Amino acid sequence: MVEQNQQQSLLGRAFVYSALVLGAVYFLIPLFVMLITSVKTLDDIRTGSLISWPDQITFEAWSAAWTSACIGVDCGGLKGYFWNSISMVVPAVAISTLIGAFNGYVLTKWRFRGSDIFFAMLLIGCFIPFQVVLLPMARTLGFLGLAGTIPGLILVHVIYGLAFTTLFFRNFYVSVPDELVKAARIDGAGFFTIFFRILLPISGPIIVVSVIWQFTQIWNDFLFGVVYSAGDKQPITVALNNLVNTSTGVKQYNVDMAAAIIAALPTLLVYFVAGKYFVRGLTAGSVKG
Amino acid sequence: MSGLKIDNIQKRFGDVHVLKGIDIEIDEGDFLILVGPSGCGKSTLLHMIAGLESVTSGTISIGQRDVTHLNPKDRDIAMVFQSYALYPNMTVRQNISFGLSIRKVPESEQEEIVQRVAEMLQIGPLLDRKPSQLSGGQRQRVAMGRALARKPSIFLFDEPLSNLDAKLRVEMRTEIKELHNRLGTTMVYVTHDQIEAMTLGQRIAIMKDGVIQQFGSPQEIYDEPVNQFVAGFIGSPSMNFIPCPVVKQDNQLSIELDNETGKFYLPIDGKNAELESWVGKTIILGLRPEKITHDIASHADNQGIHRANCRVGIVEPTGPDTLVFIELNNTKTVCRVDPSEAKNTGENIDLMFDLTKAVFFEPETGERVC
Amino acid sequence: MSTSTDKRNWGDLVQAMLPKIVVAPTFVATLIFIYGFILWNAYLSFTKSRLLPRYDWAGTQQYERLFANERWWVAAENLVIFGGLFIIFCLIIGIFLAILLDQRIRAEGALRTIYLYPMALSFIVTGTAWKWILNPGLGLERLMREWGFENFTFDWLVNSEMAIYTVVIAGVWQSSGFVMALFLAGLRGIDDSIIKAAQVDGASLPRIYRSIIIPSLRPVFFSAIIILSHIAIKSFDLVMALTGGGPGYASDLPATFMYSFAFTRGQLGIGAASAMMMLCAVAAIIVPYLYSELRSTRRG
Repeated sequence: MVEQNQQQSLLGRAFVYSALVLGAVYFLIPLFVMLITSVKTLDDIRTGSLISWPDQITFEAWSAAWTSACIGVDCGGLKGYFWNSISMVVPAVAISTLIGAFNGYVLTKWRFRGSDIFFAMLLIGCFIPFQVVLLPMARTLGFLGLAGTIPGLILVHVIYGLAFTTLFFRNFYVSVPDELVKAARIDGAGFFTIFFRILLPISGPIIVVSVIWQFTQIWNDFLFGVVYSAGDKQPITVALNNLVNTSTGVKQYNVDMAAAIIAALPTLLVYFVAGKYFVRGLTAGSVKG
Repeated sequence: MSGLKIDNIQKRFGDVHVLKGIDIEIDEGDFLILVGPSGCGKSTLLHMIAGLESVTSGTISIGQRDVTHLNPKDRDIAMVFQSYALYPNMTVRQNISFGLSIRKVPESEQEEIVQRVAEMLQIGPLLDRKPSQLSGGQRQRVAMGRALARKPSIFLFDEPLSNLDAKLRVEMRTEIKELHNRLGTTMVYVTHDQIEAMTLGQRIAIMKDGVIQQFGSPQEIYDEPVNQFVAGFIGSPSMNFIPCPVVKQDNQLSIELDNETGKFYLPIDGKNAELESWVGKTIILGLRPEKITHDIASHADNQGIHRANCRVGIVEPTGPDTLVFIELNNTKTVCRVDPSEAKNTGENIDLMFDLTKAVFFEPETGERVC
Repeated sequence: MSTSTDKRNWGDLVQAMLPKIVVAPTFVATLIFIYGFILWNAYLSFTKSRLLPRYDWAGTQQYERLFANERWWVAAENLVIFGGLFIIFCLIIGIFLAILLDQRIRAEGALRTIYLYPMALSFIVTGTAWKWILNPGLGLERLMREWGFENFTFDWLVNSEMAIYTVVIAGVWQSSGFVMALFLAGLRGIDDSIIKAAQVDGASLPRIYRSIIIPSLRPVFFSAIIILSHIAIKSFDLVMALTGGGPGYASDLPATFMYSFAFTRGQLGIGAASAMMMLCAVAAIIVPYLYSELRSTRRG
């Protein structure tokens, strides 16, 4: 009887593990295919198959993707667009996180009449399909003289990221006891002193969550990028899409794959370094608090 | 000189009337306890004294100064919180000196004060630790230290001991009392624990539903509760409340009690005038457990002492005393008996009823009759 | 003397106003850039705007044109197909993996990392990768033929009947790890003593999952479905990268429809009207959800 149970559980374990490994293979294969395709020559691609090992490993496609691939009529590779994304992401993440932190602080520790309604209004902002603001925003950016510029994109990403950053910080500060703020008030600290000297020093984890979330969202964004940017000011996702869909000349699949990996590299790096915080952002941002 | 004066304070949160006109005045150096069940408004009142909660109407004065609309920092107060509220990112030293540095006290003076406080509370070795490295009792001390760093005109305590285990709680209770004796500063202390209230307080305000039920010294409140709520809230085990008919027995005003062993009558002396009109009606007799004891021969002839033989229900030994439960008029009644005299469940026991401290309440309203 | 108290009162007033001053920019931005813009867009959808916005009232003309447009109905039908399959497969794979991972697995951390990394990718990257894998000439088809399935054909990317299903494949690959993370968090949140109690009562493991654990994950199901349908309705990048809405407009979704009418075909009015329809679709899902969430938190 005991033996039978053991056998059964051994069989069960075997099933569990093989299913899990199969799952891992399923998720990893596209990445594997991208990687090996990116180091193959075009001939190799035509003669081999998706998962066949490259005859010879070459990084030509990578350097082409970075410096010389044609995106539309411009053949300068992804390099410039990569920096576009960086110079868009950094300020947008910093500004939206800082404002979100202040909002969360006020919404939990300095609540006023109507602050809950304000939060609810903001929260709905997480859910609207952005298509509904695309046209008015396009007009507004044009009016502000920011159409097709990186500052324009920064503005858009800050505005539509605030709902999330505020949500993160609000949910974090809700769990910080109010008595801490009360004690500080009795000690004579004011609004900013309490924020900078008491709350911000303990906000490390949620700052990381917010920064990572905003970073991946903004880096990966395509919709705002494709609508509000033009020419050589486009972010990398738009450039990648243009590169892949450029129909002139021979289709260079190896360059496409290298370009895709380059575009994915920053967020992947962040994910592998700080995955824990990334998952926290995902669940906090979507399950709501 | 008045230490704290609370004049007709009201508080509303929207439609909810939390405090319905509170009046308290204590002398400088007094130890005031605000006690009551949760939701009675005691913490709200304390937060209003601290300035952390706005006042709907009425005035609060500390010393001779009207502070009703002042900010917490301008009220010259210090406060110890239930969760201690230590700043988690600062060391113990920084926690204690934070308020001083905000008030721009020179560094050398800050250090002096930190040393003095640390010595007083014996937390010197902890000064460079973070709160997360401290035990509950140590955190409690640091929280007190933070309050002591400044010399405020009033200390506020918001259930400071409720997160400690039972043994530590008793120790810290004593220390707080010593501290009060040493400093002589006015203190206001909120608790839901009636033992803390009794042991610490010089003046106790018992609150319920946003109203002060009774305000007085611990002994006054224990001996002369104004209503059934106060009588039941203070004292452990609680006072017995036995509904009993008032009768004329042998021309003597008496109450009728019924135990499984049979009916018996206890004459009421000295309260005839007030109870005359109750003959034929039922009144609530309030009698503390220690007033129903085993038979002590030497007390036999004292005024107001009466005997009865009762059937023993549950028996709970506590060590110094044994609590014996009996049924009187279908009401479970606790008697405090010497362990050596206690009987077992189902046996009969001779009990001595001391009615000199008995109190009587209206059955409907719970108000004191006499 | 009086001036000093005046000054302090003024300082107090500023202190008291600070919280509101600090959130004011966000409040104003929310009011204008979310609610104001929704109204603006709504207004646009009732005008004759084509290439440029015009503000003369045209009634429901744009909606009539929208509903008469065959492409819109293709997009709507695709949304139903894509949304339905996307949600179902993500849930199945996600829950399955979560339950397996919950069996005190060695290397759980590594596996979780692998399952979830696609969420860190841009849909454009995902689309590019799958576009290559599903390539009718050189991709999966070639691989299978090499493996001996001579007649294997896989031309979904260029087959207008099947193109939308390639979007499902790539979408599921990207998002099912996320569902796994949601459910794993839910599983870990279940009180251990309940499970122990069930074991003491003699319930078998599958039985415990069926009768106790899965039912107690109802809120997680709820959230997962809401989020997935939200992703589905907003899906834009994936289609753009994978099929570009093609062949023709066979794999259009409302989001790509809106983009192409509003920004490439100079039909602002129809674009605005289709955006309003998308908003309504999201609202139909989100509003009841938020309502029940808020009610339950208020009760709790």
